[in-house]
Amino acid sequence: MPPQILIGGLGTGCIYALVGLGFTLVYRGIRMVNFAQGQVFMAGTFLGLFLVQTLGLSAIPLLIAVPVISFAAGWLLERIVFRRLFHSHEVFVVGAIGLGVMIENGIRAAFPEPLPFPKIFGTGVYRFIPGVLFQKTYLWIVVITILLVILLHVLFTHTRRGRALRAVASDAEIAGTMGVSVSGAIGFTFGLSFAVAAIAGILIGPLYFVSPDMGEMVGLKAFSAAVLGGINSVVGTILGGVLLGLVEAIAAFYLSTDYKDLFAFAILMLMLVVRPQGLLGRVVPVKV
Amino acid sequence: MAMAVVTGLLGWGQGALAQDIKLGMIAGLSGFGASYGASMQQGVEMAIKEINDAGGINGRKLVEDVADDASDPAQSVLAMQRLVNDHVDIVVGGWGSSMVLANMEVAERAGMPYIVVGASNPRITTKRNKWTFRILTNDNGHAVQLADLAVQTLHMKRIAVINDSNDYGVGARDIFIARLKELDESPVDVESYGSNDKDFTAQLSHIAAANPDGIALMGTLPAVPAILNQARDQGIDARFFGPAGLSNEAMITLAPEASQHTIATAYFHEDLDPQAKAWADKYTAMFKNAAQAPRPSQAVSAYRGVYMAADCLKKVGTDKDKVRLCLKDWHGHFFGLPPADLHFDDTNQLVVPVVIEEVQGKGFAVFKPAH
Amino acid sequence: MIRLLPFVVAALLPLVANDYLLEIGSFVAIQSISVIGLGYLTGFAGRISLAQGGLYGIGAYTAALLVTGAHCPPLLALPAAILAAVLVGTLLGSPAIRLSGLYFVMSTIGLQQIIWIVLMHWSSLTNGPMGVREIPPLSVAGFALASPERFYWACVVFAAGSFFLARRVVASRFGLFLRAVSDDELSAATSGVRVVRTKVLALALSSAWAGAAGFLHAFFLRFVHPDMFTLDLSVVQLTMAMFGGYRSLDGMMIATLILGSASEYLRPFGQFRLVVYGGILLLTMMLAPRGILPALAGLRRRR
Repeated sequence: MPPQILIGGLGTGCIYALVGLGFTLVYRGIRMVNFAQGQVFMAGTFLGLFLVQTLGLSAIPLLIAVPVISFAAGWLLERIVFRRLFHSHEVFVVGAIGLGVMIENGIRAAFPEPLPFPKIFGTGVYRFIPGVLFQKTYLWIVVITILLVILLHVLFTHTRRGRALRAVASDAEIAGTMGVSVSGAIGFTFGLSFAVAAIAGILIGPLYFVSPDMGEMVGLKAFSAAVLGGINSVVGTILGGVLLGLVEAIAAFYLSTDYKDLFAFAILMLMLVVRPQGLLGRVVPVKV
Repeated sequence: MAMAVVTGLLGWGQGALAQDIKLGMIAGLSGFGASYGASMQQGVEMAIKEINDAGGINGRKLVEDVADDASDPAQSVLAMQRLVNDHVDIVVGGWGSSMVLANMEVAERAGMPYIVVGASNPRITTKRNKWTFRILTNDNGHAVQLADLAVQTLHMKRIAVINDSNDYGVGARDIFIARLKELDESPVDVESYGSNDKDFTAQLSHIAAANPDGIALMGTLPAVPAILNQARDQGIDARFFGPAGLSNEAMITLAPEASQHTIATAYFHEDLDPQAKAWADKYTAMFKNAAQAPRPSQAVSAYRGVYMAADCLKKVGTDKDKVRLCLKDWHGHFFGLPPADLHFDDTNQLVVPVVIEEVQGKGFAVFKPAH
Repeated sequence: MIRLLPFVVAALLPLVANDYLLEIGSFVAIQSISVIGLGYLTGFAGRISLAQGGLYGIGAYTAALLVTGAHCPPLLALPAAILAAVLVGTLLGSPAIRLSGLYFVMSTIGLQQIIWIVLMHWSSLTNGPMGVREIPPLSVAGFALASPERFYWACVVFAAGSFFLARRVVASRFGLFLRAVSDDELSAATSGVRVVRTKVLALALSSAWAGAAGFLHAFFLRFVHPDMFTLDLSVVQLTMAMFGGYRSLDGMMIATLILGSASEYLRPFGQFRLVVYGGILLLTMMLAPRGILPALAGLRRRR
């Protein structure tokens, strides 16, 4: 098998993983699935494009500015919109779908055509192994994904804020009685989920083009990745994303490009029947 | 009360007066084809403005009634039905073969003259057509020309094919391969992809392994420029060529280096005659600041369609059957294409040449084979 | 009496409407059948399914292929369409029915995607990306329902029939089981409800309603194409099923009416149509989380 296939699959898998993390974070916080997550990722790409074009930001400042703005947007949207949807899961699902439709079509009205994203990570190619091209962009994707996971791990285990988040995740009621600000923690969670999805957005930008419908398929695959890996586990989601990316790439190469998604989803459905809590997920009584 | 609500809804549009002539325009102005729909809408708008500035249709104003089909086949049926109910005099538009195959049935049943300007599947024009006319070359025309070009002009020996697995890509691929067989060639590799795919590594790895000297690419944006970029990244340097899905200025914007020397069949080129050049300049100036950047090659077909409709409306009035017969007998010439006497065949398909173009720098140039 | 609204609208529409509005009416009626079917799962079994659009597509394709390929009389294609949808829905869906909510959603997304991929790529059976064309008009005993008005009445009769049948089902012993399972699986099981069987039956019923709606869809557009039955359709039908309020068949009918005809009354918004549509979904959920039906009733009381 050409190593190119593995590299491509790994890169795509990391994107699924990062967007999937957005699902995981929100799910851990409020036990609900944010169906607008794919559109948040897409909006992150457009935000990145806007900042590059207007302020001429390079890679590192962009990787700081975009998540900071997205965090604020997520926090704000939680205050104004999401918390009014916590009534029941039906309300949350329909409301989030509505928000996703608004974001996608609002951006489409302004940018109907696919746009190129500047190659902010450079166009170079590494040859660690003779004959194997390793694009710089892929390297950035992998390295930043690893960095983010470490950062999130430190946040959750070694900071006061993170411990509060975990307390809310395991039982909001008890956390509340222990003096944790539940509403603050949930706002923070949405901010965080927006920030990681937006980072995925700028990582994928230079690889593909920017278009309003890019969020749909990635959102779907990312959700699959999160469920595959275990939606209440951060590490599981990363693993699920990478696995899904690799399975797709390998199935496309060896079996059939027409049916590659069929294999990916069939594996997923089998997996669900055999191990419904996901690869690394814990069994918890859940009700969506 | 209910009556007022209903009629109030239907009255939306241009505030048309009874003596105005109504031209229905159908396309996806939202949904995934929105970018193409917006270009078509620009072409229609420009033609209508020009016609009205020049005195309208025998003194009557031409007004537009826009129906957005959201790039969705089911919606497009409803959109066409609405135009029928709005009593438009003729319909121009239709983007995407899936949409046109669905909505043309409504036009046929209702007896509505329909000039298709943005869908190329061969099945749209058959002997059954009475009311539906198409003014752009169908996929057969493109694919046969491309096969001839590849084998006879460019002397390619190892041709690979990659196509979108939608009706457009599959249709073009099958005709292309059949023509290659007639020329005693067969493709060294055939790959397909889904319209929403972003990563083409698997297909391109197979193609790279087949070591082609030419690659036929049957698809549309945004996949096409992505494939070009990723092919060059993988070190594939064979020349790409393909039907009119490639003839889009946005392909060059999105793949500025990778698209160089790519060959496409097209419905228009501004260097073919002075009138084409003047039109392209005027059009570009008119929509310079629109949300959708001006794309002459995408707007021209709708523009021509409106003029063809106006020709017949001027000649025979608004009686639908007379308009249909007038279209059937229509003879004329399009600027921006090799000169030819254009007319419809017995399936209502316009017999119209294509222009072959090549990416050079930031634009398309008319293709000239090397000596 | 707001619950009667869809029926009043359906009965009065032909008096005031032209062919175009009747087609919209037919479209809404067809959607309502599939949405009511989805109600067995979302409203009563506590399961969110995102495969309904695909199963609807199975019904549409079965009908389309039987009448065009095998020249089967349209009415005979109805049981076939229902059966095909039920078979696919239960065979591929029931292994996942034991799964708790989220994982069930995921497996229905998988099912939806697999159905679309097969419709698109199994060209020798489905005609692939070319779709199936030239479907004859629906006819009953040689009487063709070709005009929009006749077809409209057929759709309304179907939709009303499916609605009242669903009401009977929900009010039956089985409906009681469904609600019990949805409220608390464990206590339902201890009080003798066969949980898995109940859920599989809910899945089968919901697939049957999807198949019947798909059957009408084939004769409505008289053209079927795989892209008509994507995840988008499933999402739209899901929002219709949940928009009206929890466990309310009346709410589902009203939601289908409001959302299904949105493309029409939102037309003045042009390219911002879908933005406004999303806004309606979001704002309604924010302001009336208990559903539009209770909200409308509350409005009336206040006045």
